[in-house]
Amino acid sequence: MSVDRILQFELARLNMHLPKQRISLKDALSMASPHLVAGDGSKHTFERKELERLGQIVPPNDWDNLRLPILIAINPKLGRGAAEISGELEVKVVSSVLDKEARGEEVIIYRPEIAVLRARLPTTTQYLFMVG
Amino acid sequence: MRLKQRVALAQKGHDLLREKMDALVIEFFEIVRRIRDARVKAMQQLAAAYRTLSFSFALEGTVETHQAAREVKKEMTVDISTRHVMGILVPVLDVKPIERHALARGYGLYTTSSALDEASRAFEKVLEVLLKLAELEEGARAIAMELEKTKRRVNALEYVILPTLKATVKFITMRLDEMERENFTRLKRIKAMLEARE
Repeated sequence: MSVDRILQFELARLNMHLPKQRISLKDALSMASPHLVAGDGSKHTFERKELERLGQIVPPNDWDNLRLPILIAINPKLGRGAAEISGELEVKVVSSVLDKEARGEEVIIYRPEIAVLRARLPTTTQYLFMVG
Repeated sequence: MRLKQRVALAQKGHDLLREKMDALVIEFFEIVRRIRDARVKAMQQLAAAYRTLSFSFALEGTVETHQAAREVKKEMTVDISTRHVMGILVPVLDVKPIERHALARGYGLYTTSSALDEASRAFEKVLEVLLKLAELEEGARAIAMELEKTKRRVNALEYVILPTLKATVKFITMRLDEMERENFTRLKRIKAMLEARE
């Protein structure tokens, strides 16, 4: 296999863990065993404690609009160690978890913040690599 | 042109894999921190459990305690599922409460003392912590293996593939420049010869 093909394979593999379809917080909370199916067919389980924590941050009438997992988009264009969170509710959750002032549709977080976010929400957040 | 595209692809691959490596390092340190905490907890609970077991040995006698241990129902329910950490499947163990009622353990209550019940309870508690520890250690092992693989790929791109490709592009560019200069000189020479002939 040529170097290019290996590289293309690696880049394609980077986002294999992402689900085909994200589910809402409401759906996740209503499941007996909250989980979703990843792009490679494997199962990703959400921890109920985390879902309940998200339920406290987001008002119940918005549970339908918060899509899980929350994506931490890594884009090399932003610079090394920076990531982007998109979506109003997602930004609200992240700012609440990180105790950070953020409003609007997007927020950029940096490596130490990513570490904190992943430590506090290990199953309800996922990395998204912007292959572009 | 194709080679320049290959360099761009390799550069992009390198940047993304480096980001993945950084993210894996974050995950690895986090899981190591959790393992450390779980180990401390497990060691404390194990020490307490062995202490109660020693009491049981002293009160009941070694043979009787072993006999009771053989009668215990060795069953427990664990739901094993998975979670993804950047494409790595990490096990998630959902341990149903292991602590049982003395009657459910299986040994005779008439021939044993409360010291054995205490020891059993302590070991049932510690089993939950040990299973959590096993889950974390398996996760750490999987992340460490992926980290090693990714690091090897990043290094190969950084120190072998990218420099080779860049050197080849540089060589081709220099060769094309050289050919252009040769051509220019040749044309000038031809022009001079034609002018001289006229």
